Amino acid sequence: MDPPNPNPNDAPSLPAESAARLAALSLCGTRDLPPDFHTAEILDDDEGYLTSASRGGSSTSAWKEAPEGLHDDDKDGDDVSQPSPRSSGYAGERGSSLDDDADPDPDPDQDWARGKKHPHEDDASSSWRKRKKHFFILSNSGKPIYSRYGDEHKLAGFSATLQAIISFVENSGDHIKFVRAGKHQIVFLVKGPIYLVCISCTEESYEGLRGQLELMYGQLLLILTKSVNKCFEKNPRFDMATLLGGTDAVFLSLIHAFSWNPATFLHAYTCLPLAQSTRQAASAVLQDIADSGVLFALLMCEHKVISLVGAQKATLHPDDILLLANFILSSGSFRTSESFVPICLPRYNPMAYLHAYVHFFDEHTYVTLLTTRSDAFYDLKDSRAHIQNALLKSNVLIEVQRSLHENALRVEDLPTNPSSQSASHPPESSQDISSQSLSSEMAIGGPGGLWHFIYKSIYLDQFVSSEFPSPISNKKQKKGLYKAYQKLYASMHDKATGPHKTQFRRDEDYVLFCWITQDFELYAAFNPLADKTQAIKMCNRVCQWVRDLENEIFVYGESTLSW
Amino acid sequence: MGCSSSVPARNTGGLNTISNDSSPDASSKDLRAKLVLLGDSGVGKSCIVLRFVRGQFDPTSKVTVGASFLSQTLALEDSTIVKFEIWDTAGQERYAALAPLYYRGAAAAIVVYDITSPESFSKAQYWVKELQKHGSPGIVMVLVGNKADLHDNRSVSSQDAQDYAEKNNMFFIETSAKTADNINQLFEEIAKRLPRPTAS
Ligand SMILES: Nc1nc2c(ncn2[C@@H]2O[C@H](COP(=O)(O)OP(=O)(O)OP(=O)(O)O)[C@@H](O)[C@H]2O)c(=O)[nH]1
Ligand SMILES: [Mg+2]
Repeated sequence: MDPPNPNPNDAPSLPAESAARLAALSLCGTRDLPPDFHTAEILDDDEGYLTSASRGGSSTSAWKEAPEGLHDDDKDGDDVSQPSPRSSGYAGERGSSLDDDADPDPDPDQDWARGKKHPHEDDASSSWRKRKKHFFILSNSGKPIYSRYGDEHKLAGFSATLQAIISFVENSGDHIKFVRAGKHQIVFLVKGPIYLVCISCTEESYEGLRGQLELMYGQLLLILTKSVNKCFEKNPRFDMATLLGGTDAVFLSLIHAFSWNPATFLHAYTCLPLAQSTRQAASAVLQDIADSGVLFALLMCEHKVISLVGAQKATLHPDDILLLANFILSSGSFRTSESFVPICLPRYNPMAYLHAYVHFFDEHTYVTLLTTRSDAFYDLKDSRAHIQNALLKSNVLIEVQRSLHENALRVEDLPTNPSSQSASHPPESSQDISSQSLSSEMAIGGPGGLWHFIYKSIYLDQFVSSEFPSPISNKKQKKGLYKAYQKLYASMHDKATGPHKTQFRRDEDYVLFCWITQDFELYAAFNPLADKTQAIKMCNRVCQWVRDLENEIFVYGESTLSW
Repeated sequence: MGCSSSVPARNTGGLNTISNDSSPDASSKDLRAKLVLLGDSGVGKSCIVLRFVRGQFDPTSKVTVGASFLSQTLALEDSTIVKFEIWDTAGQERYAALAPLYYRGAAAAIVVYDITSPESFSKAQYWVKELQKHGSPGIVMVLVGNKADLHDNRSVSSQDAQDYAEKNNMFFIETSAKTADNINQLFEEIAKRLPRPTAS
């Protein structure tokens, strides 16, 4: 496909109008970080609660219990964040959906801004400044492209400020990486004519935030390809925001993934646990399709891979899987009917569009067929029918539904002596050694005080993580743990001091253990009183357990997927 | 959508276009027609299609990405059966360049605007021009003013739209996907206007 046409002929005069509005606004816009940018009160959508942080720690002033389940978790992040005075339309609606599409706004004008979070905020509103983590995308001429909060067009002045900072450094032949300002860290990523900025007071590492900006850029490429740069060559004042119309939900869902999906920092994908024979049945039919001219065929359940197959030498990068799944799952229209849409896999080829056929078999399970041919729809539709028949015949879809509810790895099930157990039936539990003298709440979880683990196979680029046990049941705790893992990941991979082989950390919330070998990376969390030798023992058992289950929890033997 | 048993005939013919054979099935009075919906984002294209195909209205309807494919059959009074193969395209600007993929080879095109939005009406005129330039010759074109239920906020008068449609040889109708007003009439009108197979 050609690069997207920025200004289809004599389309309505909207762009010109908004450009004028922008110019007017940028004149009166704030040129500096507002003096009260560092306010004590922080609005954190990621956590879904309002903290009033004081020096000695933070106290929760309003806590909203999130609905159970890992998926919904972050999607309702905005529940209790303060609506700005004028965004009354949103106030009552939050909670069930990420997309503000779900917002039956009585004002028809609102339809034109479907999917926007807090559109009435700008850098002059106090609620906007209290947000804990901002993401911005802007052009090198200072035009806003995306903002997590508020209407991009109203943020023109702020955008110009960011642009001035970046250009100032770039012009002196240098690159700006980050700026620290009190509790805030401002991280920059320059990608040709496109600048990405994160302003955060979440205490995440520079590397972590930079990785998140890289993924934001990848998501942008998935939607527009890198050839969008040409639009800037032709017209430096080109307004890219209009090309991203309707994609707020996609970026929001990615931002939420930063706090619940380990794939965002592990650069690995995860599979839905399935009996080996079931997965083989799925892979066989996908392989058939790939042999008939499809570049990639993916069968996924939510963000988990059931099977994936690539044609000949084509390989799929885990980040591309993440971004593709995020795009599909956050654009509600795919669930309504079969779709055909151009997308770009930035790690595969950032310059070109592929054409994706997407079909949901049920609420969670979907097939994506990727091809280079823009006229392949009817072929792919036929292929899908073929896949569907095969999946029904071999009961794959039923097994997938079952797995979704039953096959999760639970630390309580960690076998005492894994290799002696049948792989598919881990023993009931091994209460015997579980936390001897701990309070009853602490005792919940796995043996040896094990609460949670993530195991990444380096060779396969896949990871598996356990369910959260009850000590880490609420959203805030889960997110806290993920942030801790991210920090651990960053410090383990720190180029200056690392790479490290093991790390053992104890703080008031948990004991964290990380172990990296040539074959795998293991991240484990234990209750804060856990004993170190016990913990190491448990880690060994986890590794053994994972190896015993590997045929069910990993996708294997994709000869086409070796890199 | 279910597992459709019909396998549409393919006609790639070297053209870079998604198209299947929209010519009538010679053995019966059945017609098969490729239909495309065009118009600005948010005017209600998907809602119109879903009202017609599934009889539902979902106020939380999601922005379409790329294009969605749906099909529906319609029986006319003269016992002709028309099978519509419907391309519901995305109104978002970045997909505008893709439109030819869907309207080439289409037997009919529905150009939709929102009666409360003058911008969407000028966008509709843009699509009409584009179809006149590049659409299949003889394509049945319909101008649809949707969200007729919001008449209190109307900002495009029926008369203006009617005049524009007449000038451009189009059929004009105002619909509401929300109340189902005129939705079936819209598709019946199209079905009636489709070229019939010449008697064999
Ligand atoms: N009141 C009213 N609202 C409608 C009607 N039809 C659609 N809507 C609303 O308009 C919004 C957009 O509808 P869609 O059908 O998704 O619009 P679309 O034209 O498909 O938009 P794109 O997919 O982005 O091109 C939704 O919020 C609908 O609820 C209608 O007849 N009356
Ligand atoms: Mg639509």
